[in-house]
Amino acid sequence: MALTEPILTKRIPCWPFADPAGRALVLYDRFVETGGYAALRKAIDMPPGEVIDLVKSSELRGRGGAGFPAGVKGRFLPDPDGKPRYLAVNADESEPGTFKDRLLLDYDPHLLLEGIAICMYACLLDTAYIYIRGEYRTQARKLQAAVEEAYANNVFGDQSIMGKLNGQVPNCYVHIGAGAYICGEETGLLESLEGKRGWPRIKPPFPAVAGAFGRPTVINNVETLAMVGPIIDKGAEWFKSMGTQRPQGAPPTVPASFGPKLFGVSGHVNRPGVYEEELGTTISELIENHSMGMRDGKKFKAAVPGGISMGVVTAEHYDAKLDFDIGKKCACLGLGTAGLIVMDEDTDMVAVARNVARFFSHESCGQCTPCREGTTWMYKVLQRIEAGDGTTRDLDLLLELSSSMGMMPGTTICGLADGANWAVRTIVNKFWDEFESRVTKQRYVPLTVVS
Amino acid sequence: MAWIMKNSAAMAIDRRDEPYLTDRMKAELEADVLPRYPTRQAATLPVLHAVQHEHNYLPYQAVEEAAAFLGVSASEMLDTATFYEEYWLTPKGKYLIMVCQSISCELMNHGQLLEMIQDKLGIGPGETTDDGKFTLMTAECLGSCGTAPCALIDETLHENLTAENFDVQIGALQ
Ligand SMILES: Cc1cc2nc3c(=O)[nH]c(=O)nc-3n(C[C@H](O)[C@H](O)[C@H](O)COP(=O)(O)O)c2cc1C
Ligand code: SF4
Ligand code: FES
Repeated sequence: MALTEPILTKRIPCWPFADPAGRALVLYDRFVETGGYAALRKAIDMPPGEVIDLVKSSELRGRGGAGFPAGVKGRFLPDPDGKPRYLAVNADESEPGTFKDRLLLDYDPHLLLEGIAICMYACLLDTAYIYIRGEYRTQARKLQAAVEEAYANNVFGDQSIMGKLNGQVPNCYVHIGAGAYICGEETGLLESLEGKRGWPRIKPPFPAVAGAFGRPTVINNVETLAMVGPIIDKGAEWFKSMGTQRPQGAPPTVPASFGPKLFGVSGHVNRPGVYEEELGTTISELIENHSMGMRDGKKFKAAVPGGISMGVVTAEHYDAKLDFDIGKKCACLGLGTAGLIVMDEDTDMVAVARNVARFFSHESCGQCTPCREGTTWMYKVLQRIEAGDGTTRDLDLLLELSSSMGMMPGTTICGLADGANWAVRTIVNKFWDEFESRVTKQRYVPLTVVS
Repeated sequence: MAWIMKNSAAMAIDRRDEPYLTDRMKAELEADVLPRYPTRQAATLPVLHAVQHEHNYLPYQAVEEAAAFLGVSASEMLDTATFYEEYWLTPKGKYLIMVCQSISCELMNHGQLLEMIQDKLGIGPGETTDDGKFTLMTAECLGSCGTAPCALIDETLHENLTAENFDVQIGALQ
């Protein structure tokens, strides 16, 4: 089933609903004319706890990569004690293959601001920081202008229609990062917000208890927050009418994949771009119906389902459903950011693995030895294989390296190592023949000390 | 990243009497930026951005001044400054070209862009032209994978690049 009307992209022309050539930045007035900020007004007529419950009952799951239920986060917060409580908005979008948040920031920043305001109201958070990556300078400027419009129209500030939150004037600020993938990890983001290097923190304590500046903090992705307004507006049942439903007879505790989602398609297709679809749409549908098929009529070889950390799926899974269960079904890490990277038959998978390993070795923050050293060695070994100097031992070494990272619980602080592991391991395993044909055979003598 | 060594050990520390972080800048930051945060240290990134915007890079003296301004030690300020890709502790060219080298851009042949720049300007990644006009860097995913390959020239994103159209865009700056 396909989405019948655009939701997040209601004001942003996107195929197949409208020609993107007609895109323009939506300013405050146009946002309001098209129903904007009605959801905020509706929310503030409800007690904050009810707003959380509504979002919780919609079973909205985080769109930033982990798929954590958004409504549940608000319930983790301790009761207000009169001191500050924060919302950190994750606009650090740096996962290779991901460019969906940028679409919202570029054209409909108020949709995000409305979600931010509702979240602040529901969770009694007085200050929101939008952490936006340094490379999105143009978007940061648009966002800043939208924030100023929102202040002028009493969304935030001392005349805010929300009144005081947590006993304080609600404020919203744009905070510009400085180029570091790891600041997208939620606690790396908090450290960076505090003016330090973006080293992820050991959890617990979780941010809901001690986050930014040691205070309770909710962290959400841009798309997750943008989804909140439409949910308040149209209700949880409407939201749940879209997406992959729970298997027949499954209890409500089984997580499902409800709602629409922005899918960014890049790589070897005829019309790459961001497409809004229901969760559970298939890879083949995104490629054939939305992206106008493979470029030059080439054959599909592999795809990354959701940002490079998720690993690859092969032609065997061409019709796989893109929902939060894809990890189990297709032997990859998960849906991630739903940034689909499509590769055609001519793609050199060794080069892909080398590119990916380089990314992670460069972006590892360096705190944990398995991640810092492991990603660097993976990169070196893959460079060697690509240059034709690799041996079969190198392949074993690669798999051993990747499986020592992230797989062993507790050896690394954040999920970057896991992403590196899945990305490299799935490429090597699923395209083993290709790797094998590139290395010179050499009998591998296992060292007991190593294994 | 922080653990990838930068040559800060060999960094020449030029000192001058005139401060980099001027009183006017301090007053502006004090009025616009500091009230946003509960601690002064939290203004580190915005302050470093402001100084770099003014001087095109972060002279060590400016890092010290920023540290004094925010009440943190110079080493802490340097610790933060060296962690982030965007801060330059040595001068860079007038225009900074950042070509994305992540997966979607490599699939769409970002290599032709680097080759074209090598031919046209005679610089590889990490280098600056002799006239100080251009610095070339490779970047990781710029969040524009649907219009790959792409590159930033300073703050402006250039999309759907080919060696030919990028050549023209760079030529316009020469
Ligand atoms: C290495 C790493 C990088 C991440 N980068 C981002 C990012 O750029 N943007 C984002 O929204 N979430 C990112 N995340 C996920 C966040 O940690 C966090 O789960 C998310 O922002 C929570 O928001 P959500 O529940 O709304 O998805 C990253 C996670 C890891 C481990
Ligand atoms: S897993 Fe890697 S990126 Fe994450 S904290 Fe450890 S070293 Fe840093
Ligand atoms: S991979 Fe180049 S912009 Fe994303």
